[in-house]
Amino acid sequence: MATRAVDARARGLRPRREAEVLGVAAFLRRLDWVLLGAVAAIVAYGLWSVDSITRHDPGGSLAGRQGLYVAVGAVVMLGLAALDPRLFRRLMWPIYGGTLALMLFVLVSAAATRGSRRWIDIGFFKFQPSEFGKVLFTLFLAAFLAERARAIGRLSTPLAAIGLAIVPIGLVFLQPDLGTALVYAAALAAVLFVAGVRWLHLGAIGLVTLVGILAVLWWLPAAGVQVLKPYQTERLTGFTHPESDPRDATYNVNQSITAVGAGGLHGRGVAGATQTRLQFLPEHATDFAFASLAEQRGFFGASILLLLYLLVVWRGLKIITGARDLFCAIVAGGLVFAFLFQVFVNVGMTIGIAPITGIPLPFVSVGGSSMITNLVAIGILLGIHARSTRRRA
Amino acid sequence: MASATRGRSGRFLPPDPRVEEPYRLTPQLAFRVALLGFFALALFAVLFLRLWALQVLSGDQYAAAANNNRVRTLRVDAPRGPILDRNGRALVVNVPGTRVELWPSDLPKTWPAQRDELRRLSKIVGVPVTEILRRMKKHESDPVTPVVVQTGLHEDQITYVSEHRAEFPGVRLADSYLRKYPFRSLAAQVLGYVGEISEPELKARRKLGYRLGDLVGQAGVEAKYDAYIRGRDGLERHTVDARGRPTSDVTVTVNPRRGNQLRLTLDIELQQAAERALRYGIELAHADKKWYANGGAIVALDPRDGAILAMASNPTYSPSLFVGKPNLEKLAPLLKQGAAKKANYPGINRTIAATYPPGSTLKPVTALAAMQERLLSPHESLLCTPTYESPNDNGVPKQQFANWNPNTYHWMELAQALSESCDTYFYQVGDRFFDLPSDRGHPLQQWATRMGLGVPTGVDVGSELSGLIPTPEWRRVTFKGPPYTDIDRTWKPGYSIQLAIGQGDVAVTPMQMARLYALIANGGKLVTPHVAEDVEQPTDDPRNPQVLRRLASEPPRASGVDPAAIKAVKDGLYAAAHGTNGTSYGVFGTFPVSIAGKTGTAEKIVAIPGYPAGHQEDQAWWCGYGPTEAPTIVVCAVIENGGHGGTAAAPAALKVFEKYFGKTGQIIPKASD
Repeated sequence: MATRAVDARARGLRPRREAEVLGVAAFLRRLDWVLLGAVAAIVAYGLWSVDSITRHDPGGSLAGRQGLYVAVGAVVMLGLAALDPRLFRRLMWPIYGGTLALMLFVLVSAAATRGSRRWIDIGFFKFQPSEFGKVLFTLFLAAFLAERARAIGRLSTPLAAIGLAIVPIGLVFLQPDLGTALVYAAALAAVLFVAGVRWLHLGAIGLVTLVGILAVLWWLPAAGVQVLKPYQTERLTGFTHPESDPRDATYNVNQSITAVGAGGLHGRGVAGATQTRLQFLPEHATDFAFASLAEQRGFFGASILLLLYLLVVWRGLKIITGARDLFCAIVAGGLVFAFLFQVFVNVGMTIGIAPITGIPLPFVSVGGSSMITNLVAIGILLGIHARSTRRRA
Repeated sequence: MASATRGRSGRFLPPDPRVEEPYRLTPQLAFRVALLGFFALALFAVLFLRLWALQVLSGDQYAAAANNNRVRTLRVDAPRGPILDRNGRALVVNVPGTRVELWPSDLPKTWPAQRDELRRLSKIVGVPVTEILRRMKKHESDPVTPVVVQTGLHEDQITYVSEHRAEFPGVRLADSYLRKYPFRSLAAQVLGYVGEISEPELKARRKLGYRLGDLVGQAGVEAKYDAYIRGRDGLERHTVDARGRPTSDVTVTVNPRRGNQLRLTLDIELQQAAERALRYGIELAHADKKWYANGGAIVALDPRDGAILAMASNPTYSPSLFVGKPNLEKLAPLLKQGAAKKANYPGINRTIAATYPPGSTLKPVTALAAMQERLLSPHESLLCTPTYESPNDNGVPKQQFANWNPNTYHWMELAQALSESCDTYFYQVGDRFFDLPSDRGHPLQQWATRMGLGVPTGVDVGSELSGLIPTPEWRRVTFKGPPYTDIDRTWKPGYSIQLAIGQGDVAVTPMQMARLYALIANGGKLVTPHVAEDVEQPTDDPRNPQVLRRLASEPPRASGVDPAAIKAVKDGLYAAAHGTNGTSYGVFGTFPVSIAGKTGTAEKIVAIPGYPAGHQEDQAWWCGYGPTEAPTIVVCAVIENGGHGGTAAAPAALKVFEKYFGKTGQIIPKASD
């Protein structure tokens, strides 16, 4: 044992530690308290906001139910933080297979009920696989790319990763859940970027993607081929011309912008926030939660939330740099960027600078799947941090 | 990377499955993470800038927009003022009703859902979807007032809609007031009706506070005095939610002010009598084999001040057709040209908006003008012959003008000429006017105009026609250019002769004739007929309302007619009703109250179904007043295509006098003109 260790050191290599288990004290010491604190603050702020936002709704406040999800998510998060992230690397193929199976199940059950369904109803909870899929998807891709780290310079590696990623993205898109599919794509892009794909290849992939987007949104419809449903196209492009049709596609955006703007510097308070209270703002507990928050709490309140998000992103980026191996770095990169993407697209949507995609605002929008998934992602980040090369970050 | 490659390839040492490659943060990854960091900062900067722009720079503007979203100003209908007759009996009142309104912005956002809702609504209220859509389109420019779908709903419709309120977002039931006509079609053309304001009207009256969807008077006194009786709508501010459902938060900003009541000079009972009399006159004409008699008009007014006591027009309609759900089939005679013609234009107020040649009822004008111009003395005797040929007629043979009664050949003075309505007597007088040197002008026409013929009477209700008193100038202008020739443009003796007995191109309204006879009755003063008495506010004592504004029009003005001449004509008119040879002796000779008046039988070219060209039919007239000594009422009756004035029109006028004086008359059948 000792010889082996010496031998290993002599080779400049470290021994592979089987799923490292830390003591409680060490674990606590190695937790990223800043990240945890920021997330806890956002979650608390989110719960408070959800209570204010939904207090006047017909169903009453949703904060209690949301608090339950937070509790579940927090337990899972801490569990994951204690777990060695490299476990996921070994489980990459089961993870990939499980992700696909879940999504196929959603599609099949939706086909059976002839409706658009993104969730699986398990009694007390509407389980939304595509939300959880975000994390699994990132873990799998990170593992895949870490395995091929030495071949990362070859174009075939990113193309293989994209080929594998396209399948779940496509399944989510078919649900149809365009917004989540876009989050997957963002995670994919971040994973490729952090894994070290060559700039030239990144550029080429980006160009092809751009051409694809243009084709799907403008050129193919002009030629008579509809890839997206008309309402999807309208939502994606509607934010560029919000005055076009105030009643339909851009109604939500206009009401949302009005709500945000009406919030002013200090906010209108819970009773004064008429856009929210009188239901002018649709989906104000879920997709447009930020607009309601901004209406009630004003520029100051919204800024505090955004700064907290920025703090999370900053800690996340720091965790990438401290990761103990490439897999962890890639995972952290994918999760952080997906998080950033969700925040930007959701907030951007409510203020009219991003398309309407139905992406929930992390830790604020009402919804169990989203809340738990985001806590899971934070748990994994915490786990990566706890096993970072640097003791103190 | 080099050591890792070597370790893996096994060139230096065999690979050890228990070890992993050393991992170090490469500069490349650090650079990429830094890039991600900058990217994140850039994204957040964009969010912050946009938030700043929305919330801080234009926050006020969006706050205002949010307030507009939630606050809706609804109008509260003011009850329209009632319309009363001279004795305070209500001709038009209000009943509370319910109105269905549509707030287009609160309708479902997608067209299929919206169409579905409109279809369901249409089925309930019975207004076609296309009609609802048409009104919504009209309202597009005005998002703050609702689209009125239907007024006057039935109880079960109201119950249904209010019970299924949740299924009709954007539909609202509002209280309103509906016009009600206790006497049904009575005085329909005088009262007019109420309807939604039209676009041109709105454009003209927007400054006066009229708005889209307002109910306004569309004809008659409802239109003329709309400003007094419409009241002022109130305003309520409601806070509504996104589906347009009002919350409990309501502020009354303006209280509705009920419209004032309008008192007319009409007497309901006399009006009823006049309308019955018209039907009676038409029946008499039918009995006299005048089958085309199909309408008529009666005016009764006070010769002292021009107050109209009754103005009846036949055929008529029921103004309640315009209330609530429109019955297009029943409304067609009022709105569609073809159907109106078929029904003989029930919407027209024939007392002021229909012209007829006056026939012999114009003879007093000829007599008065001739006496004024010293062309005739009341005691000068002229020979009443069966026919007359003008010495001024240069044609060979000369044109013959017949007397209505071929069995006459004796000298008579003015009174007898009026009494027996001798046409040839007046032909001679007409010829005297023709003989006048041109520097004397056209005194017959001038006097006719001064006595109110061929000019608007100034009556305060409806759009009246002026009629026509033909002059040589008129003839020259009207028949200018081809295909007319000089012959058409020349004023021939026949024109003066015909005009003298109210024939030819002359056309007057019954109201003008009533005014003329009022002038004779009151001794030479021209009255301005009016139907509105005053605007009032009801007080606790219904018999003693507070008068806000008197509407009596101009006071009677002198016409400059010599009272002596009028006296002579009055004698003639008395004789016409009381002399044994008088044309209406059979009707008024035995009436307990002394009546004076003149019959008329005027030939008019009319369109009769079945005759391709115009057909000449006699228009039956009678105009007169009573009591002779101090007249308090003038009655003028005309029965369209009714034949002889003494047969159809005079008995109709008698019915009005009977009601007015509360006495019964007796008719002795007798031939007349």
